Amino acid sequence: MRFLASTTAIWLLGLASSFAATEGVAEVHDHLPAHAEQIFNIGPFVITNSMLMVWIVAAFLILIAQLATRKLTLVPSGLQNFVEWLVESLYNFLEGILGKHLVKRTFWFFGTIFVLILFTNWFGLIPGVGTVGWELSGPGVDPHDKFRPFLRGGNADLNMTAAMSFTFALLWFYWAITENGLKGFLSHIFAPKGKFSGIMALMMILVFGFVGVLEIVSILFRPVALSFRLYGNIFAGENILENMMLVVGNNKFLAWLPPLPFYFMELLVGLIQALVFMLLTAVFLKLICDHGDHHDEDHAH
Amino acid sequence: MISLVSILANAAPHAEAEGGGVGEIFRTFHVDKPFFFSQVASFLIVAILLKKFAFGPIQAMLEQRKGRIAEGEANLIKIQKQLADSEKNTAEAIAKANEEAQRLVNEAKESAAILSERKAQEAIASAQQILAKAEAAAKAERDLIKAELKREFGRLVTATTAQVTGKVLNTDDQKRINDEALTKVEA
Repeated sequence: MRFLASTTAIWLLGLASSFAATEGVAEVHDHLPAHAEQIFNIGPFVITNSMLMVWIVAAFLILIAQLATRKLTLVPSGLQNFVEWLVESLYNFLEGILGKHLVKRTFWFFGTIFVLILFTNWFGLIPGVGTVGWELSGPGVDPHDKFRPFLRGGNADLNMTAAMSFTFALLWFYWAITENGLKGFLSHIFAPKGKFSGIMALMMILVFGFVGVLEIVSILFRPVALSFRLYGNIFAGENILENMMLVVGNNKFLAWLPPLPFYFMELLVGLIQALVFMLLTAVFLKLICDHGDHHDEDHAH
Repeated sequence: MISLVSILANAAPHAEAEGGGVGEIFRTFHVDKPFFFSQVASFLIVAILLKKFAFGPIQAMLEQRKGRIAEGEANLIKIQKQLADSEKNTAEAIAKANEEAQRLVNEAKESAAILSERKAQEAIASAQQILAKAEAAAKAERDLIKAELKREFGRLVTATTAQVTGKVLNTDDQKRINDEALTKVEA
């Protein structure tokens, strides 16, 4: 029954999306741009359609959280129960990776990352996102890029994924240094692992020094990889959905059909990408903060 | 050394080309300062808002519940300990009470035995006393009867003797005849 309901929902989603695409807009809108588009400015800050989407998702999440925590009961039920289950499961999952101490410090970030990416990805599948907007007119307007959608999948914007990745990179340095100390942090990267003496120690210092340099390069490239991985997957998904709607040619009343299976796939991709981003960032942090001596367990005792 | 210089010289145009490639990527995806920093600001605001208004209350609620559960568990352990202590104390009190009761019973038994013995002794003494008194009374009565009997016997002997002999007996004769007769009867 539940499967039927979800299938019907997805079917309607595809149908509505195709109508939104065919009615709304833009005969000339024949491709999804690779970047988010500016909607308006607030001083020096550019507000893009992807940013708007992220804000809508954030407002939705805050609303849900507020509704769930409005009337707290000792024995939770309904929305409170669901939200508690979600947060607690996420917390326990991250605790398994990061340990008790680290998860207490960093859960707000990893929780935000996961939930925000997940719901931004899923919200990007709602009909109207990327298909409802307005047309630019006037001189200087590119005739192949006249359409401006109000909303765009939040993670189909490299600036957004890069913002998350580089924010994590800065926080990673902060958490790594505060957890290990500057000396511990540097020795974690450059110091030889194991006990050596004599000429062997000298050689190992050189070897691990070189390895440390490689590690630094790897660390610097992590946010780039994180950004492009998430962006690439989500943008590719949106492209697939859009192009699937176009394969029917002039039979636009059938435009809802080809993307239908891909909606299921995108739901899955949205979840997997949120999980991958959160897992990778959590593991990166754990690797630098791992003392290899069951530090957390000791703390716990 | 020369080769190193030549490698660096050859690498420079490549690096420039790479830079060009990176620039092309940035242009394609519109990665530039205003967009990027706006997104960073947006993400930070969203993260802070979610921390404060979404995760904050939920985590506080979960912490509160965890605290309550921990408190409940601690109380349960405390109650179990108190129960165990109480059971131990009760068992000790019962054992002590049993011991005390046993002691009292033993004492009562001993007291009862002593009292019984004493009462028996008293009863025996009393009985002996009563017996002695009875014996004394019986003896006195017998002596009295005996005296009366002697007297009567003497009077009869004297009267009989006086009638048989036909003479008046004086006091000495009477006494002598009585004594002889009594001596013979008693013998």
